[in-house]
Amino acid sequence: MELSSEEGETSHVIDMTTSEKVVELLNQAALIPTDEKLTVLKQVQELIINKDPSLLDNFLDEMIAFQTDKSIEVRKFVIGFIEEACKRDNELLLRLIANLNMLLKDESVNVVKKAILTLTQLYKVTLQWLVRGKTVSEMQEACWDLVTQMKGDVLALLDSENDGVRTHAIKFTESLIITLSPRTSDSDIPKRQEGDISLDKVPKDHSYIRYDVLCEEGKSALEKLLKFMVHPAISSINLTTALGSLATIARQRPMFMSEVVQAYETLHANLPPTLAKSQVSSVRKNLKLHLVAVLKHPCSVEFQGQISTLLLDLGMPQSEITRSTPALREQRKRPRHEQYTEGKKVKMEPALMEDDEDKEEPAPLTTPNPAVVPVAQSAIDLTAEFLHPLLNPENVANLVLISMVYLPDVMPASFQATYTPVESAGTDAQIKHLARLMATQMTAAGIGPGLEQCKAREDDAGKEEGNDDDSGAKDLLIKRKVPAVMVGQAISVVGGYAEKAPTAEAPTAVKRLPEPILPTAQTKLTGASGRKKVFRLSDVVQPLSDTQIETLTSRAVKRILHSEKAIAQSGMSHVRVKLLSRLVTQFEGMMKEDVLEFILDDIRTRSDLAFSLLYQEYNTYLSQLPSGLLDSYDHCLFTLLSGLQEKPEQRDGLFTKLVLEAPIITESALEVIRRYCEDESRVYLGMTTLKELIVKRPSRQFQYLHVLLDLSSHEKEKVRTTALAFLKRMYEKDQLRDYIEKFALNYMQLLVHPNPPSLLFGADKDTEVAAPWTEETVRQCLFLYLSLLPLNHRLVHELASVYTEAIADIKRSVLRAIEQPIRGMGMNSPELLLLVENCPKGAETLVTRCLHILTDKVPPSPELVERVRDLYHKRVPDVRFLIPVINGLEKNEVIQALPKLIKLNPIVVKEVFNRLLGTQHSEGSSSVSPLTPGDLLIALHNIDSTKCDMKSIIKATNLCFGEKNVYTSEVLAVVMQQLMEHSPLPMLLMRTVIQSLTMYPRLGGFVMNILSRLIVKQVWKYPKVWEGFVKCCQRTKPQSYSVLLQLPPAQLTSVFERCPEMREPLLQHVHSFTPHQQAHIPASIMTVLEANKKQQPKPAQPVVEKEIEPITAPDGSVSEEAPTVTLKEPEMPVQHDPAVTKDDEEPMEQEQLDPVIQEESDNTVSQVELARASETPSPQPEPAEEPMEVSQPGPSDPQEPEKDAEADITGPEGGSGSEDVE
Amino acid sequence: MPSHPLRVAVVCSSNQNRSMEAHNILSKRGFDVRSFGTGSHVKLPGPAPDKPNVYDFKTTYEQMYNDLVRKDKELYTQNGILHMLDRNKRIKSKPERFQNCKEKFDLVITCEERVYDQVLEDLNSREQETLQPVHVINVDIQDNHEEATLGAFLICELCQCIQHTDDMENEIDELLQEFEEKSNRPFLHTVCFY
Repeated sequence: MELSSEEGETSHVIDMTTSEKVVELLNQAALIPTDEKLTVLKQVQELIINKDPSLLDNFLDEMIAFQTDKSIEVRKFVIGFIEEACKRDNELLLRLIANLNMLLKDESVNVVKKAILTLTQLYKVTLQWLVRGKTVSEMQEACWDLVTQMKGDVLALLDSENDGVRTHAIKFTESLIITLSPRTSDSDIPKRQEGDISLDKVPKDHSYIRYDVLCEEGKSALEKLLKFMVHPAISSINLTTALGSLATIARQRPMFMSEVVQAYETLHANLPPTLAKSQVSSVRKNLKLHLVAVLKHPCSVEFQGQISTLLLDLGMPQSEITRSTPALREQRKRPRHEQYTEGKKVKMEPALMEDDEDKEEPAPLTTPNPAVVPVAQSAIDLTAEFLHPLLNPENVANLVLISMVYLPDVMPASFQATYTPVESAGTDAQIKHLARLMATQMTAAGIGPGLEQCKAREDDAGKEEGNDDDSGAKDLLIKRKVPAVMVGQAISVVGGYAEKAPTAEAPTAVKRLPEPILPTAQTKLTGASGRKKVFRLSDVVQPLSDTQIETLTSRAVKRILHSEKAIAQSGMSHVRVKLLSRLVTQFEGMMKEDVLEFILDDIRTRSDLAFSLLYQEYNTYLSQLPSGLLDSYDHCLFTLLSGLQEKPEQRDGLFTKLVLEAPIITESALEVIRRYCEDESRVYLGMTTLKELIVKRPSRQFQYLHVLLDLSSHEKEKVRTTALAFLKRMYEKDQLRDYIEKFALNYMQLLVHPNPPSLLFGADKDTEVAAPWTEETVRQCLFLYLSLLPLNHRLVHELASVYTEAIADIKRSVLRAIEQPIRGMGMNSPELLLLVENCPKGAETLVTRCLHILTDKVPPSPELVERVRDLYHKRVPDVRFLIPVINGLEKNEVIQALPKLIKLNPIVVKEVFNRLLGTQHSEGSSSVSPLTPGDLLIALHNIDSTKCDMKSIIKATNLCFGEKNVYTSEVLAVVMQQLMEHSPLPMLLMRTVIQSLTMYPRLGGFVMNILSRLIVKQVWKYPKVWEGFVKCCQRTKPQSYSVLLQLPPAQLTSVFERCPEMREPLLQHVHSFTPHQQAHIPASIMTVLEANKKQQPKPAQPVVEKEIEPITAPDGSVSEEAPTVTLKEPEMPVQHDPAVTKDDEEPMEQEQLDPVIQEESDNTVSQVELARASETPSPQPEPAEEPMEVSQPGPSDPQEPEKDAEADITGPEGGSGSEDVE
Repeated sequence: MPSHPLRVAVVCSSNQNRSMEAHNILSKRGFDVRSFGTGSHVKLPGPAPDKPNVYDFKTTYEQMYNDLVRKDKELYTQNGILHMLDRNKRIKSKPERFQNCKEKFDLVITCEERVYDQVLEDLNSREQETLQPVHVINVDIQDNHEEATLGAFLICELCQCIQHTDDMENEIDELLQEFEEKSNRPFLHTVCFY
């Protein structure tokens, strides 16, 4: 696109008029990037300024519009354009000068610089233009006013903060001074500037431009420049620039040469102390260069002495000085010019050859110089002359001694650079030189006799100032006094002469020239404050913004922070640590965070810093003690501990160390420790730390102890158990004991509340207070207490009192929870025995539970038995108390209690029997039952049926038969044997016999024997027993035939009445006898046997079938064969028969039990469930609770077993009660 | 950064070794650079210290090269002069004299104090016109190949730093101080005006 358009452009250009071309270029310029824009704009400039200036006016606005361009270069170009345009057409100044003024205040220093350069040119142009015209329009006046104002602005830029801007301002000043001073015949005019305006071309009668004003402005500019130069903090480049400017001024306006030379002298003696060594060299080199340039000017003649002295000091060989010195007789401009070129040639070719010869020359050349001086002595000259005779060895020595005091500690760079050993010390020439140096200083300070004389002379010469064109000497004379007073410089060395200063003269000088003097004095006094940014040191003085300060400080701290390794290598780590901790504690802000973070990054190696910081924080707190806050310290400790706590891996005990070595453990720190303890992987370390704290910081030990106590009910088991273990150990310490105990009891006391207090849920779990007690919450209250219990048995009474008040749910939980500790206490614990003895009302179940726990694995001790017996007999006659200690009771006691015992819930009965039979203790412990199994069974048979219903007894015996291991055939045989001896015969005798026979068929023979003996005992007198007898015989046929045959006839008849089906087989049995045997059978018997045979031959059969069939049905094939086979297998009938005699024999029926049990278990479903759910202990407490309830309200509401512990317990009671009714 | 690229002049005595080495490197780094000598003649080492080969500034490098090849190819190959001339002629055709150049620079770097003096003298003797400043910096470099190379790199670094300042005139002082410290050699520095 661009390429083609450019091509198009070139082809167009040929045809287009210049104006059209400009339009097109301007249009382009608005849209293209800076680089091309510049090219295009330059083309436009060329076209409208050089090619066709008539267009200039037309396109001026368009061009000037670019002064707001973003690009600095474009703006600079616009300035250049303004300059060119104004030079081309001065009238344009009216329009453009304001734009230049704007650009002079541009934000870019580069634009400003360019604007200064342009103003330098345009100032002259404007002046020339206005002077040329006779009359000045209002616009022109305004234009000049603006230019004057801009001139003032640029002069003010001598104080700019920017070095480059100042440099340009100096050059502007230089040009201004030259313009605003008259060119004289001895002026050295560069060819190019020959046509330039200068003051001498300004008519003194101009309508608007005033000659005298301009003249004053010029002088004031020179003063400004000179003042600028003596500023102690001037930069080397500014100084160089000013030196060059002065040289230019001196050569172009020799009238100012005196000031210039003096300024050089002053500078040479007082190089700014801020210059670096190499800068000093550069400046000296410049000074030399410019001095030579001035020296070459013919008007330097008067100053040759001073200049050559300076040059000598600057290290220039005398020969070169001489070569640069114009001959006295040479006339002005032209000869000087030749001299200049000559000098050049000399240097190039013969210089080296002539060097040696030249060395002889200096003396003759320098001596004439002083001769010239008297013509117009300056203040310095006069003072030097005055000083010269005074410089005798004694005075000099005194001066040296006095000034020693004022010497700086370090040699200034400028001195070091310039110092050369004094070769000709003590010679007259050297003394003169010294006098002159001192005179320079004194004059600069405004003292010395020379100054007085000058002022006197000034009065005469003052009015001649205006017309000094022709007389260079006169002019110099007048001008000189100005800087003599003005060019001030701080004098430290000549203080001793202060008293000699003609103070009276000073005021006159001030009066005469108020403007120059006052500002100078001020500058002197205020020193460096005069300019803001002359020297970069002053940057430091500028106040930084808060954010800057913050970033700087934090960066500084960061640097120290991260210089860890470097400092460690230098072995100064401790200093760094100390420094950091001090710094960080002093300042608020991010730094602290940074440092803490840094520490935590690698806390193991940075722990010293951590400790240092912590102590420092504490120290700070202590130092502001009455009002000081711990916040900062707290934050530090908290962050460190949290950091450690959150770090996954911390093997070394840094956490412990930090906690134990911290001066104070704050609340939040304690919270961190707590968290640390709650961490399962570190719980031990954490609690060890906590323990140490408790032990080693007695002043706050309870605070720490409290944390540990809190943890004792923690939901995490590991945390809890560890805490409990620690607490148990601490419980042994007297000073902590009470606190721990109180805490444990308080906590347990919570159980009396109807709902768990919110504190149990911890602060974070915002559970409603109305939540019901749960197993968890109950246990939470008990953990600590229960672990203390084995250590302090007395506490058990507290439990009892709480227990009585607690609701049933809690009671149950408590009963479950206490097993371990109670067992730990052992049955010999006096306190426990006491509890049993006292058994608070309402705590019966608790006591029972304790008894059970105690006797669960070991047989009860006599003491325990004694207490229980006591309790049972004297206070709470609940048989269930006896169960746990049953094996400790006497035989008769057990037998006495049996009726009550077997009436209990079958599960409980089972438990009792287990205990009595020793079947409970799987480990075969040494519990010795007071009753043998046989005794037990016999005792059961002997229970008075008035005391206990038969059903319970039957159930109890069934339990016995259930234990086949215990009730072996031998045991049963003994039992039967003994029961036989009882009179009257126990009701259940035959049931037991049949049962035994069923269990052990081989007892058959023995049973026959029993039966036989029963006949002897006239068994038919006991209806129930007799019934059983018959039944037994029936079952044991044909074995029983012989027994039957022993019955008296009446009884036999009775048998047949009961079981007619027996007769026929018995008869056949008899028939099978040998005749001899048959003979033994009494006739009466035979009659009985045969009698009924005819009467009812077959009615029995159907009966049998009737009775048997329905029962055998469930048993399948076996029952069908029963009539034939069962005779040989006695077991079978036992199972089938019960149905036969359902109504009468009910109590004897084994099968009958099942439905009853089921019935019961229906009632006790919840109980059984509970029992299963809560493992082994549960079945025991429940029955134990029965008596309590019975003795109070009785079986109040048997219908709601699930809801209430009482109901649970009374449920079975009701069940068994209904059994009784049945 | 100055909005336009720095115009740099590198000046030594004969515009052969030090200034050309720097010229080479600076132009490779994209600077607007020219090189000059300030001597009245171009001098190259000859067969003996007191017998230099002297040429005027009109002689091209090519001609010098041929001349030396003709005189003693081995000697001038061995002392690297031919190599240097070969490099130079690929940069420009012939040495230039600073005093004869009227172009304006932003920065003039001289390679020894004598040259610095001559440059200053020349610049100060010119008539001022635009008052545009030019900074003159002297970096002392011994006149041999190795030092020339090292010096050229130093000059290059210096130029790059100056080029990258926001406001060259305001920062150059400080920059030079840093460089002095870093390179452990003093720099003469001044400003002149065109």
